[in-house]
Amino acid sequence: MSRHLMKGNEAIVKSAILAGCRGFYGYPITPASEITEAAAALMPQVGGVFLQAESEVAAINMLYGAASAGVRAMTASSGPGISLMQEGISYMAGAELPCVIADITRGGPGLGNIASEQSDYHQVVKGGGHGNYRTLVLAPHSVQEMADLTVLAFELADRYRNPVVLLADGFMGQMMEPVEFPEVATEPRLPRWAVAGTDASRGNVITSMHLDTDKLEAHVRQLEAKYFITEQREARAEDWRTEDAEIVLVGYGIVARILKAVAAEARAAGLPVGVLRPITLYPFPTLHFQRLTARARAFLVVEMSNGQLVGDVRLALNGARPVEFFSRVGGNAPTHLEVLAEVQDLARRHLAGAPAEEELIVHV
Amino acid sequence: MATIIESPKSLTQADFKGRVDPDWCPGCGDFGVLAAVQKALVELQIPNHQIVTVSGIGCSSNFPGFIETYGMHTLHGRSLPVATGLKMANHELTVLVTGGDGDGLGIGGNHLTHTMRRNVDLTYIIMDNQIYGLTTGQTSPTSRLGMKTKSTPHGNIEGPINPITMALAAGATFVARGFSGEQKHLTELIRLAIQHKGFSFLDVFSPCVTYNKDNTFQWFRPRVKKLEDDPAYDATDWLAAMEKSTLWGEEIPIGRFYERTDLPSLDQAEPVLKDGPMVGRSAHIDPAVAQSFIEELM
Repeated sequence: MSRHLMKGNEAIVKSAILAGCRGFYGYPITPASEITEAAAALMPQVGGVFLQAESEVAAINMLYGAASAGVRAMTASSGPGISLMQEGISYMAGAELPCVIADITRGGPGLGNIASEQSDYHQVVKGGGHGNYRTLVLAPHSVQEMADLTVLAFELADRYRNPVVLLADGFMGQMMEPVEFPEVATEPRLPRWAVAGTDASRGNVITSMHLDTDKLEAHVRQLEAKYFITEQREARAEDWRTEDAEIVLVGYGIVARILKAVAAEARAAGLPVGVLRPITLYPFPTLHFQRLTARARAFLVVEMSNGQLVGDVRLALNGARPVEFFSRVGGNAPTHLEVLAEVQDLARRHLAGAPAEEELIVHV
Repeated sequence: MATIIESPKSLTQADFKGRVDPDWCPGCGDFGVLAAVQKALVELQIPNHQIVTVSGIGCSSNFPGFIETYGMHTLHGRSLPVATGLKMANHELTVLVTGGDGDGLGIGGNHLTHTMRRNVDLTYIIMDNQIYGLTTGQTSPTSRLGMKTKSTPHGNIEGPINPITMALAAGATFVARGFSGEQKHLTELIRLAIQHKGFSFLDVFSPCVTYNKDNTFQWFRPRVKKLEDDPAYDATDWLAAMEKSTLWGEEIPIGRFYERTDLPSLDQAEPVLKDGPMVGRSAHIDPAVAQSFIEELM
């Protein structure tokens, strides 16, 4: 298998094509534009359709159409564009249509800036649209994972007939790393529920409307049951030297890379520090967190957002261990030195005979 | 009609210079549009505080920062709804709306149609460079068929929109096209557009020197022909304007295609605004009136 040096944004498109994606509908936005550009260059070479929409609202609805016809399709954008897509995402979740959406996040709120933040966590993980629905969310932390998780995203989208979001900070989209692609491309089959223009699919109807209150309730319960199954089966996380960790650092995307460097440095200084990196943000890897409480004395959540992931970590631990929090926002990334200082402070307070503490909610 | 107040000290172009220097690439067509807007405002002598410049997102949408008026930098494609809200809240203000072809004809295309239909008294200037510049060179709704851009590497398979025909069809009451390279002519068009009471639509060729190698200053210069040079052209004749709007290629008409002044603008048509703008009005409700509609709701 050969390795190629490329940007994360480019890796997504190549991987998507190998995963059988044949429809891309997008709108330019920094720092996600290279995805649209790569799709424009590559889709026609494999018989796929690329279309630059007039807006993100149009793009997500084009995705609705392509998915309804049974074609694997995707789009990509960044914060402001994802906000515009939320209406369509809600409709697709309601109509149980698979699709993949890459969100290469930037700084907000509003126009914000084009530097990396992780502040789309709430709008993506909690669902920024209306109604009782969830999107499955994957968070790559390397260019290799931009490729690998794109393949997984298409699989999960089809398996659960649900939109899947690849949530990656601007660093992931823009940085270049070597990446390997699968040697065998996926050839997805036409789903039996699609409106495919065939005799067999004649009775298929794609809709999110259920006017009868009992029918809508039944539909929502069925969606809930589906999400429950994803929570049981699809939660993923990476444990990095957590087996003996008494302090566990938590972060996703580029932050996880920084945390590994911090943990390595802390270990060299004799501190038992590990990293737990959620790979799926929904379903959240709750069990991975609970397993660590046997040994861990405290958790430190680090984000490039003002306390979004930390809420899910606290829910997962349910008060079992103190959860502390450190963040940088505005497009600034935490430096390993400032995180290390937090870890040393945490160690003084929680390790080596320090009295057990109630959970502290500290905002930095 | 914009409110014109005799100022004790007459305004010069320097008075309309913004506090931020433009971040456009050297040679960008947008510089010419900015200068022409400033010159038109000098001709009209409208005090700075009676003007609001509203924009969306894009290179040209940074415009409000570069001009000394009130400014609003809004959402991508949404400058016209924001400007409509502003105008209906205080219709005594002169409201200029600026943006690019992607902002106005792509993501904001639907808003444009309905703002024209409503005849909102705004001056809307599209700085049309036929490319997405801020995101570094993708196709736009006015990119020509076959054009190679970063998002059409195999050539654009879509045809462009014709902004002039579209504006005429949607009911805009002032429709013009300018060229950044024709300063005097453009200044005159902007002045007429601001003076027009109703929706003024101005599509201005504003070449992108960095990402559009097709539609350059050199490409436009020999092609643009001023409608004003033809004494027989009647800008009140809608059908003639429609016909002229379809010309493209060796000859591209610029100038005022169409104007009608017999339709009320939205603020004039709105009965509640006949006594003046909403801004500064008392919110007092006569107790008897309040009582009557409370009873009606019960």
